[in-house]
Amino acid sequence: MELGRARNAVTQLRRGTLEYCVLALLRDGRRYGFELVRTLSAADGLLVSEGTIYPLLSRLRRDQLVTTSWQESEAGPPRRYYQITAIGQRALADFRDEWARFRDAVDALLTQGEG
Amino acid sequence: MNTVDTDRLVDAYLRRLDAAALALPPDRRAELIMEIREHVQEALREGPANDEAAVRSLLERLGPPEDIVSAALDPTLSVQVIAPSKRTNGLAVVSLLLGVLWFAGIGSVLALIFGYRARREIKNSGGSQTGSALAIAGIILGWAGILIPLMGIIGAAIAIMLSGGSSGVPVPLTTS
Repeated sequence: MELGRARNAVTQLRRGTLEYCVLALLRDGRRYGFELVRTLSAADGLLVSEGTIYPLLSRLRRDQLVTTSWQESEAGPPRRYYQITAIGQRALADFRDEWARFRDAVDALLTQGEG
Repeated sequence: MNTVDTDRLVDAYLRRLDAAALALPPDRRAELIMEIREHVQEALREGPANDEAAVRSLLERLGPPEDIVSAALDPTLSVQVIAPSKRTNGLAVVSLLLGVLWFAGIGSVLALIFGYRARREIKNSGGSQTGSALAIAGIILGWAGILIPLMGIIGAAIAIMLSGGSSGVPVPLTTS
């Protein structure tokens, strides 16, 4: 029961942080959807249902944090690439600061009195 | 590998997604379906194998189509509020049409019945239906189609009574 509770709390955190993980992956260059999914899945359980990344990408695009462009690929049809915008970079930088503060505060409370 | 079977699995998945995505505005629905389709193509192209088991696992990892659509609809995840696509109430259109056609008053009576019912349906639809103006137009035409001929008949009757039923006056009643 208590384990389920903890897991649920972390799931909520994952949901809230996923879009910044996507922005972080795009920081150093554009990527296509499947590439993003594969990388996020490789990182510990970030994606439960891989398909749900697409509604998230669509929202990031509508909020102008990312843009898309088409690029021919060596084999097969052209690919849709996602790239971060200046607004997206700004949002990512803000989140990094906030997240660092939050993480440190939670860590400090969790390890209180230890060692 | 059996391409027919794996194609069928993918098709069935996309059909389920297509049905679930009816809840989305049309442009976002088309976009989502296209992106999932691209994902599947990409995965099949890059995957080490694309036999039936591999395709099943690929679709399983994508998650149930319904979950993907609810992620697209989730207001806690969405910054932008999704405006539900509005539908015109069918009875409101019928009401207006019957109001115009009149049909010796029968159309008018039906226009009133359908018009009031359409208004009630639109009111109860919680903003997902439009056509209130059409229904009101149907109701006005309905009443006009009943009351105007009725007043004509009453007027004619009074005229006949006032003229003392003199035989020389043509009866206007039949012309209405």
